[in-house]
Amino acid sequence: MRTWLRRNLFRTWWDALLTIVFSGVALWAMWSVFRFVVFTGRWEIIDVNLTLLLVGRFPKDSLWLLYGVVTATAFWGAAVLGGGEVAGALAPSRAERLMLAVRRFGLLVAVGFVLVALAGVQESIWFVVAIVAALALGRQVKKWRRKITALRQLPAVIWHGVLALAPVVMMVLTIRSADMRLWGGFLINFYLAFLSILLCFPLGILLALGRRSSLPMVRLVCAIYIEAVRGAPLFVLLLLSGVALNFFLPPQIDPGPVFRSVTVFTLFTAAYLAEIVRGGLQSIPKGQTEAGRALGLPTLKIIFLVTLPQALRNVIPAQIGQFISLFKDTTLAGAALSIVEMLKISQAITKQDAFLGRGYIYEVLAFAGLLFWVGSFVMSKESQRVEKKLGVGQR
Amino acid sequence: MSEHVNADATQMSGGRTASEAIVVMEGVHKKYKKFSALKGVDLKVAKQEVVVIIGPSGSGKSTLIRCINRLEEHDEGRIIVDGIELTLDIRNIEEVRKETGMVFQNFNLFPHLTVLSNVAIGPRQVRKMSKAKSEELARELLTRVKIPEQAVKFPAQLSGGQQQRVAIARALAMKPKVMLFDEPTSALDPEMINEVLDVIKELAKDGMTMIVVTHEMGFAREVADRVVFMSDGEIVEVGTPSELFDHPKDPRTQKFLSQIL
Repeated sequence: MRTWLRRNLFRTWWDALLTIVFSGVALWAMWSVFRFVVFTGRWEIIDVNLTLLLVGRFPKDSLWLLYGVVTATAFWGAAVLGGGEVAGALAPSRAERLMLAVRRFGLLVAVGFVLVALAGVQESIWFVVAIVAALALGRQVKKWRRKITALRQLPAVIWHGVLALAPVVMMVLTIRSADMRLWGGFLINFYLAFLSILLCFPLGILLALGRRSSLPMVRLVCAIYIEAVRGAPLFVLLLLSGVALNFFLPPQIDPGPVFRSVTVFTLFTAAYLAEIVRGGLQSIPKGQTEAGRALGLPTLKIIFLVTLPQALRNVIPAQIGQFISLFKDTTLAGAALSIVEMLKISQAITKQDAFLGRGYIYEVLAFAGLLFWVGSFVMSKESQRVEKKLGVGQR
Repeated sequence: MSEHVNADATQMSGGRTASEAIVVMEGVHKKYKKFSALKGVDLKVAKQEVVVIIGPSGSGKSTLIRCINRLEEHDEGRIIVDGIELTLDIRNIEEVRKETGMVFQNFNLFPHLTVLSNVAIGPRQVRKMSKAKSEELARELLTRVKIPEQAVKFPAQLSGGQQQRVAIARALAMKPKVMLFDEPTSALDPEMINEVLDVIKELAKDGMTMIVVTHEMGFAREVADRVVFMSDGEIVEVGTPSELFDHPKDPRTQKFLSQIL
């Protein structure tokens, strides 16, 4: 212990000085946050407006659909990803597993507790119970798939189709049940990000391939698109989408602000993603393509079976970085278009009679920041797990 | 489009059996900008023949062998493989590639696939074989190159010699009529060279048609039906191993052999 301290913290007088200064800064920052959270923070504004912040004016009697989506998705996630088997001697002990679980889910669970505590209604407790049950069931289902022969022999398409059925049906029901204009709060941020990520991913890949195409016209169009979109500020594009989409669409189609912003986020992020994927493709040695050609594989199969999987795996960190940035940029949609997303609500509730003019903005922004930070952090952590699983840098 | 050509087999010396030629190159030229890599190469390879190409670096050996499956495009002359002429027609090119297997200096295995999938991908994706069948074939071939136990590993977990043997199995999985080896042992540590050469020798024994670019003169002497000496983009001298190694005629051949032996 002593030698460790010596070696790592106080090797020279200069090291010692740096250690002391930085410890001081860290302690001061921690104390400030702690004081704000526990003593000076007036959290009743969050308490009163929690539902509004999380889902906006989403109809109360349809809320169970949202709970259903989250629960079904939790089940699905657990059944697909949960409980990775580690063989024999490498299997971690119970204590290690607990530690891993805390590191992986601790933050989410803590935030969940904060939300439940703030909501303080029976409903939210049942919701938590449902999620935990869904996770447990999901893991069990995955185990059955491994252990029961009849289940194991089901083709992957059918198995995953059945598993995905519940969340997808719930999502469709939810989207159909409530008017999109009533959606708001963190829900709409999440929805915008989710949909845009889903859509921009294939588009980005196509653009990257297009920019490497052997056909000059395809290359030119893709390059111009990418450079034009990357050169424009996102906020300008969002403001433009409020008016400019009408130039391209017939007047009887008047897409709502959600449609407009998803379009912009998708097109915008796809351009960045294209460059990331292109970088990944360039990192694949020429020999890979040649080996594919020598086997007689057609060009498309070489791309989709040989080079693209390797390229995507190599650029996971950059891709996730882009998605995280997209997730946070959804707050711009509130300012540019008439979407009542979380940040907009955050600012609006400080103007309620009970809170007006008393500087509640700190608490509200801190809460909004916390939710976004947790979302981004979880994305980044999970992407690291995926990277490890795919063995980036090892194979 | 494909032109079927009956090559005159009697021209070839030293072939095991005088049968029809499977690879025919006539007056092949290849230029990289101003540099001429091949300056009018004529070569015929008979079925079941083993041709070894030697020569100093930069002499065009690799370019020649890479022209045969169109990894490089030749500028002039004709190349006919198994009766199919290589033209701009992509179908002809893919047809030729199905019939020729290639082994590279740097293995070029697919690092994201298991050893088994590396071998099975050709028959599965190009020959449209079922998954089970292609994997069965892959296992057979891995046994043939003496590494059946490595099937579930990934290429990076194997030694260089093992990787190159997987690469040979991958090429064989397409049941090619000709095998092209582009310096298959040049990237290997010395102690692994022989395990790869042994596999190639066995293929030769089994009657596989092969064109091998190599610096392993002992190997060339042992397995070659004919040895081709190239220099400056030209075929300088062709002969049986004893003719070429023991009694080289051309001064360039003599100089090269005196430098390496």
